Amino acid sequence: MNRILSSFKIFPSVFNIYGFLFLAFLYMPLALIVLYSFNANPINIAVWTGFTFDWYRTIFGGAAVETTFDSAFSESPQRIFEVVKNSFLVAVSAATIATVIGTATAIALARYKFFGKRFYQTLLLLPILIPDIVLGIALLVFFVGVGFELGLLTIIIGHVTFLSSYVFVVVSARLAGMDTTLEQASADLGAGPFTTFRRVTLPQIMPGVVGGFLLAFIISLDDVVITYFIAGVGSQTLPLFILAMMRRGLRPQITALAVLILVFSFVVATVGLLLRNRKS
Amino acid sequence: MGFLQIASAHKAYQTPEGTLVRALDDITINVRSNEFLTLLGPSGCGKTTLLKTIAGFEDLDGGDLILEGRSLKAVPAHRRPFNTVFQNYALFPHMNVSQNIAYGLDVAGVKKAERDRRVGEALEMVGLAGYGGRKPSQLSGGQQQRVALARSLVLKPRVLLLDEPLSALDRKMRETMQIELKNLQNSVGITFIFVTHDQEEALAMSDRIAVLSHGKVQQLGSPNDVYDTPANEFVANFVGTSNLFSGRIVENDAARGLVTIETANGRRLIASGRDFANGSAVKMVLRPEHLRLVDTGEFEGAGTLEGQVKDVIFVGSVIHVHVDVGFGRTAIVHHHHDRAGIRNAIEAGANVRIAYSPSSAHLIAAERG
Repeated sequence: MNRILSSFKIFPSVFNIYGFLFLAFLYMPLALIVLYSFNANPINIAVWTGFTFDWYRTIFGGAAVETTFDSAFSESPQRIFEVVKNSFLVAVSAATIATVIGTATAIALARYKFFGKRFYQTLLLLPILIPDIVLGIALLVFFVGVGFELGLLTIIIGHVTFLSSYVFVVVSARLAGMDTTLEQASADLGAGPFTTFRRVTLPQIMPGVVGGFLLAFIISLDDVVITYFIAGVGSQTLPLFILAMMRRGLRPQITALAVLILVFSFVVATVGLLLRNRKS
Repeated sequence: MGFLQIASAHKAYQTPEGTLVRALDDITINVRSNEFLTLLGPSGCGKTTLLKTIAGFEDLDGGDLILEGRSLKAVPAHRRPFNTVFQNYALFPHMNVSQNIAYGLDVAGVKKAERDRRVGEALEMVGLAGYGGRKPSQLSGGQQQRVALARSLVLKPRVLLLDEPLSALDRKMRETMQIELKNLQNSVGITFIFVTHDQEEALAMSDRIAVLSHGKVQQLGSPNDVYDTPANEFVANFVGTSNLFSGRIVENDAARGLVTIETANGRRLIASGRDFANGSAVKMVLRPEHLRLVDTGEFEGAGTLEGQVKDVIFVGSVIHVHVDVGFGRTAIVHHHHDRAGIRNAIEAGANVRIAYSPSSAHLIAAERG
């Protein structure tokens, strides 16, 4: 009896330790990269030689690249700004278009009956399951086949194809939880289909639409594999740019860039969560 | 003819299992102007389907809906001059009470000053003045119910459709709302079509009741008609409690308007009635409140039954006495009492005699099968 009781007492602490180890496993690498991004050692980022903001300053142009020891391996703020701009242009455009397509599709599938609905539903989920590399090659073959010049536009189109599926899934979940009698009530009170959509359906599914947009935005922002195949020569995005920098070794500037992306993603995720909680 | 005609409405569903369900099977009702009409029936009887087809949320397979001579078949829900109070109220959660009530006026393009005035009146009418700024989630069930009513009535519809609007309220609240709804209907002078499965609610509020079962109208009449002279066995059982005794007419005393029926085991019962010929199979309906427990002895002109008390159930105002009357039937008697002493004198196992006035016995033709 006593043994059983005491084993119950031991178990929680065992689980606590396990939980701690698991979280450490998840977050230690992230903590390390944040730490090393402030490491003054330009040669070996894993050996701490002192605290510095230099790597962040090179990104924002606060310190001329030439003045730092690592100048030969660093990129200019102008170049970084350009790829960041490309990435945002792609992510905002692709996420916006995907949100419109994904939301419209989700509503059509949730509210209307038509021939081949189930088949269509399955087809919509496939882009999430298809390996990125297959999708990338397929898109490249398609663009080359129809004579599209590779560039930002092809990246946007490519991203829209699979991001629409993600938005569709998120908005569908929200629609499934919505009370359909609200739409009947709106019609009953004299509102036509468009007014009902604008004033009842859309406000009700808005958290899902915003959530879908943010998810699409983040996925687009850090996509490497698909973008790699369909990016043109003059149309590098931030992840591709970092990948290219890595070919010259893991330099301190990369760790600083990675931390900035991490912070940005964190802010977007927080905004998304706050919006969701406020609505429900 | 009528104000709103439901003319041989048909609608059938295919269930996922593949069976065909006739939700509406040739339903014809002439709804009168300004009446409180209740569609009463058990779940699955087609009452809600009928309401939805009137509202325009569902189409009819056959038949027609005619409002003052004009067919509504091609008119979509948002263009019909009807409004609905939904079972779950369906208030817009992202709008406050005033915005909810103003919605229909706003959609119809009513100017803001006029809109505000009418929303204020509507809030006043349902006793929610001052609640305009609240969100529906901050209101009680009864208050949400009133908002739903105000939201519909503010549009001054020709017909107000109510889909079991009181079912989510507790008993006390429901009784209060029954009276309020009835008064409201009288004061606004709008036709109400009210759907419920609660026969007490239907009897208390309606001008007329349409009892539905299996997609058919079983009986259409005033609450008194439906209760006192049920058209068939279904209505007799569904509306109120009935003691039903089957038998065959064996004597027909036309002079006194009395018939005698004989049950399968030879028991003879008398009832008022002229419409049945000797030999026809009938069922006799006796309401529990028309039966009295009496001392043994002869009762001139009264019908009698003897039996043994099986159960005595005290429900407050009356006691329900279940009496085994011998031929496999149990008669339920609602026995009125004035003192605890009399109440306690009736015990299980006691032999009792039941008397009833022949005029309180209602005869219906026995259905085949």
